[in-house]
Amino acid sequence: MSKVCFEESTVELQSRESLLDGLLRSGHDIPFGCRAGVCHSCLVSLEDGQVPADAQKGLTAGQVSLGHVLSCQCFPNEPIKVRRLDTAGESVHGRVVSKTWLNEQVIQLKLDAALDYVPGQYVTLWKDDHLARSYSLASEPNQDEFLEFHIKVIEEGSFSQWVANTLEIGAELAIQGPLGKCIYTAQPEQPLLLSAVGTGLAPILGILKDALMKGHVGPIHVVIASKEMSGFYLMDELTQLSVEHGNLSVSFVSMGVGELEPSSIHLFHDDIYQFVQKKFSDLKGFRVFLCGAESFVKKMRKQCFLAGAGMGDISADVFLPFTTS
Amino acid sequence: MSVYEKIGGEAAVNAAVDIFYRKVLSDDRISEFFDTVDMETQHAKQKAFLTMAFGGPNNYSGKDMREAHKHMSLNEGHFNAVAECLVGTLNELSVPQEHIDEIVGIAVSVKDDVLNK
Ligand SMILES: Cc1cc2nc3c(=O)[nH]c(=O)nc-3n(C[C@H](O)[C@H](O)[C@H](O)COP(=O)(O)OP(=O)(O)OC[C@H]3O[C@@H](n4cnc5c(N)ncnc54)[C@H](O)[C@@H]3O)c2cc1C
Ligand code: HEM
Repeated sequence: MSKVCFEESTVELQSRESLLDGLLRSGHDIPFGCRAGVCHSCLVSLEDGQVPADAQKGLTAGQVSLGHVLSCQCFPNEPIKVRRLDTAGESVHGRVVSKTWLNEQVIQLKLDAALDYVPGQYVTLWKDDHLARSYSLASEPNQDEFLEFHIKVIEEGSFSQWVANTLEIGAELAIQGPLGKCIYTAQPEQPLLLSAVGTGLAPILGILKDALMKGHVGPIHVVIASKEMSGFYLMDELTQLSVEHGNLSVSFVSMGVGELEPSSIHLFHDDIYQFVQKKFSDLKGFRVFLCGAESFVKKMRKQCFLAGAGMGDISADVFLPFTTS
Repeated sequence: MSVYEKIGGEAAVNAAVDIFYRKVLSDDRISEFFDTVDMETQHAKQKAFLTMAFGGPNNYSGKDMREAHKHMSLNEGHFNAVAECLVGTLNELSVPQEHIDEIVGIAVSVKDDVLNK
């Protein structure tokens, strides 16, 4: 149990309580999101004392030297003094350029912002000082002028409903990041497997564009899964890419019912795990990218690893849900 | 020269870790202990395990081993399963039998700590 000095007050952390939870319990209004060290919305600044290494895991060397700390991951062993972090220096502003429905549930949001990023990374978008959510970049900076996001609009979703119903063209929002290491790195001849469920397609699309732009010559297999047929989007665009690039194959896999036009689209009525198992029984030497919901990434990562892909050759982005409690 | 050095040190651990982890995850007797969301952290722990079992540099005391495994209530069967995965991995990498014997000896030496006896 350790003491925390914060804005003239002292907070006594309870056993196994994170710095974030302690501050929230004491009534301090600290923004937070995923509580998993992923979204970086709960950063605070350390003024005195030492924190365990896990509290700064995934931060840049610059952030560490400035004393930034992920309060949700911070379980201090000694008294510390922290202060609120001015996120102004951590973020850039983006202006909404367009909002387009890609299917019944997914909005494509384009933002104009000066952000240096690598395709496949994600950022944390801020509605205001309190509400932040992470979204993956689907754009590629050399060919796309604007940042592109695919946002699934969820019933009762605080952020996604706001994007769908309130956010207007021309409005500005703060963008924190970029974050994440699920990016294209591979030998040019290495076979690639890129698989996503739902809006996991966003980072997969970014990674795919990056690989194609960098002249990847090995086979590239994109496998997109959706529970319902209506959950697919950008099917024509992806199919067109596979027509233009002989080494690219794109498959859509769903257990749902329905037909598709045009018939050139490779649609399979199958279970995604069985489909991948049948089609890629030996993944030795493959570079694998997996993006989307936690249940999918967890199961697919294990399956791909057991099928021979090296642990170091599997990159994943997990769309952790944000908790409100 | 320690057996760790004889079989190639860190490079041997790197060669072994994916094979060993695959075996552990496929073994119904023990897979549940290792089947976590955070495969990367688990992967790092597998490396720590192998480094220690190979007699390489590590900072774990018997007390640490007790602490790390206490909450799992492990029994003889679990220990044997891990040992079999280890031996299987070494066989697959064509490690000579005398070195395997030495490595098994190291594993057995921490058995009581791991099983919290
Ligand atoms: C690294 C990272 C990258 C991400 N990238 C993307 C992306 O590219 N596109 C994208 O759409 N999302 C992405 N997410 C998820 C996103 O950050 C939000 O969690 C999501 O948009 C829901 O936010 P919300 O405020 O609308 O809903 P909330 O108000 O947070 O949640 C409302 C309710 O819906 C539930 N819920 C949360 N997610 C889902 C879901 N997917 N389906 C059904 N119910 C759900 C919650 O448990 C809660 O009960 C990413 C998450 C992470 C961590
Ligand atoms: C053969 C002797 C064994 C040795 C030398 C050994 C060694 C280790 C080491 C060094 C760690 C890392 C500790 C840390 O840094 O957190 C570890 C963790 C672990 N061991 Fe073992 N181990 C042995 C047997 C077993 C057995 C029999 C099981 C279960 C079947 C087991 C399950 C685990 C698990 C699940 C962890 C991770 C715990 C966590 O995530 O906190 N180990 N072990």
